[in-house]
Amino acid sequence: MSVVYFLVLLGIPVAGAIVCTLLRRRRWFEYVTVTSTGLTFLATLWLTSLVLQGATIMTPKGWFFLDALSVYLLVIVSGSTLVVALYSIGYLHRQIRNKKVDGSMLRLYYILLNAFLSTMMLVLVSNNLGFLWIGTEATTLATAFLVAFYERESSIEAAWKYVIICSVGIAFALFGIILTYFSALHVVSSADNALNWSTLIAVGKQLNPDILKLAFVFILVGFGTKAGLVPLHTWKPDAYSEAPAPISALMAAGLVNIALYALLRFYILVNKAVGGSFAPNLFIIFGLVSMGVAVPFILLQRDYKRLLAYSSVEHVGIIVFALGLGTPLAYFGALLHMLNNTLAKLVLFLTAGNIRIAYDSKIIRRVTGAIKVMPVSATLFILGVFAVTGWPPFGLFVSELSIVTAGFSAGNVFASVLFVGFVATVFVGFIYYATGMVFGEPSRHDKKGDGDTLSLVVIAVLVVFLLVLGTMIPTMIYNFIMRAAAVIQV
Amino acid sequence: MFDTQTISLGIEILAATILVTTFLIVSSRSLMFYVRLFAIQSFLLGLVALLVAVGFGETHILIAAILTIVVKATVIPIALSKVIDKIKVRKEIDFTINITTSLLLCALLVILADSVARPILEAQRMSDLAVFKVLPMSIAVMMIGLFIMIARKQAVSQIIGLLTMENGVFLSGLSITYGMPLIVEVGIFFDIFVAVLILGVFVFRINQTFDTINVDTIRRLRH
Repeated sequence: MSVVYFLVLLGIPVAGAIVCTLLRRRRWFEYVTVTSTGLTFLATLWLTSLVLQGATIMTPKGWFFLDALSVYLLVIVSGSTLVVALYSIGYLHRQIRNKKVDGSMLRLYYILLNAFLSTMMLVLVSNNLGFLWIGTEATTLATAFLVAFYERESSIEAAWKYVIICSVGIAFALFGIILTYFSALHVVSSADNALNWSTLIAVGKQLNPDILKLAFVFILVGFGTKAGLVPLHTWKPDAYSEAPAPISALMAAGLVNIALYALLRFYILVNKAVGGSFAPNLFIIFGLVSMGVAVPFILLQRDYKRLLAYSSVEHVGIIVFALGLGTPLAYFGALLHMLNNTLAKLVLFLTAGNIRIAYDSKIIRRVTGAIKVMPVSATLFILGVFAVTGWPPFGLFVSELSIVTAGFSAGNVFASVLFVGFVATVFVGFIYYATGMVFGEPSRHDKKGDGDTLSLVVIAVLVVFLLVLGTMIPTMIYNFIMRAAAVIQV
Repeated sequence: MFDTQTISLGIEILAATILVTTFLIVSSRSLMFYVRLFAIQSFLLGLVALLVAVGFGETHILIAAILTIVVKATVIPIALSKVIDKIKVRKEIDFTINITTSLLLCALLVILADSVARPILEAQRMSDLAVFKVLPMSIAVMMIGLFIMIARKQAVSQIIGLLTMENGVFLSGLSITYGMPLIVEVGIFFDIFVAVLILGVFVFRINQTFDTINVDTIRRLRH
């Protein structure tokens, strides 16, 4: 029976991709993709309710499984994909009108969007660490042509850099997985189970700690590249700024969480096997360095899509730092921050897409008076900026506050002070650039024109959700996050 | 037919030859030569997998061995030489590190690889695996693959570097675990194959838009 759940979950987006290859009419791509992403989202909600009611769901050989942590990420990722699918309709219509996209490009876009979703789902449902690796590499391959979508020189170069850097990283991760498997073979009797995360966690304490430490270093490099941890973040600003806006949004909202999820699974395993502060200290250091390196690039930025990419580097740093603190409050903060960051990044990248179309420029100084050119998008954009920089009453304020509190009470005073300093500095830079873009007088050439109603409504819903998370987290969501955090705390 | 020791010796000799091919890649400047050496390297790797499959009765790795010989030693090299023909770039001209220095650095990498492998080998009693001596060599192949990507800037060289790294990872898996479960190996193979296809398409397009595939000359994407 449990096999059916996974067939449904992985099958819907794969079917969506296949159907898109067979279609000819523009409208149909949109119908199919909205249906497939919508159904996937509904299926994850249904599976979530099953998981939260009962135990974990696992296939007979243990290849796939679901627990509170994986369904939490499933909901975030499939929800983001649905938002992006809805936004893509209007965005691509405008790009067709601007003669930047034609019919065959549109088909490729929707096929790859469905494929991208299916690869992300594969990572999140994999219990077998080999499948986890295969899925992660497949996300890179599914997005390669989406990054190169506009076929400009710069976008092909960005895509090349993205595939090369992420493939090198992931090769290291594969070596880490082989080391883990090697260590497990000495403990687990059946070689078929020796790659299953659930089996490894059960025998965690018997695994050789020295080998697992070495394996974790390779895995941190590998999946850290994919998440965009410094110093392996260099592909991120290029890829995010060259990809179409909805794809940048989905990379910042979905792909980042996929990589963090993979890291998190190994983090739990290594903590179980090695104990002590080995993995937590690595996370704290990499988290803080990522935040710190992002700061100057945010302060001295010319291109607003790159600005958002560095914000993504910063927030991955925040999440990894929080996970490194290792207390229940910090885990809660980290998981809540994953959700908050996802929502804020969707709002920012999608509204930035509207700004990009209206001004036909990515340069910050070229954009002035957006509030007069496109009142709704500009308002949502500035709200997103306040949210992402951690202002109350938005959700990120709550999660960052939990993380800092956890940091101080865990005795990491110096690290926590640095954390606050980085967040505050980023805030200054962001507000400076964003107010310059939104307020002031537009130049005479900028004609008025906002995004389509559907996408603006969707983005507004996300902003409301951020407000809710920042003022009164619904008990249901609170309990859900606590259940997911309990998985980390083994 | 043969005892375990003979088979292990055979695998060690093959692995050492694989390491030699990576040094030959580093010592050359002809892109076509890189591709041929990569084909030989992959063929030897396929033989290692075949020996593990037949010699130690690990039949699950048989399919991976055949895939290595068919895909990595035949299909990918043919595709890459087509790419080289089409883009009409035959030589690696732009060296960030010259050949002599490169070879010396690679020799150092081999020593480094040995010191990385030592704790792994000491951490577990290795009596049950006959081919553990291959691990340091496989780590060296990985490192030299990465080195090729850093030191050689032509797009084709970068692909060869990446594939060499992957070969090193596969060899390490063979040496300490006799390879991963079949379905996982097949999935990994599929991913690598698709990655090479995509990179190949990009090489064509980069060439179309820039008239050169030297990825270092394109520096538009600075912040």
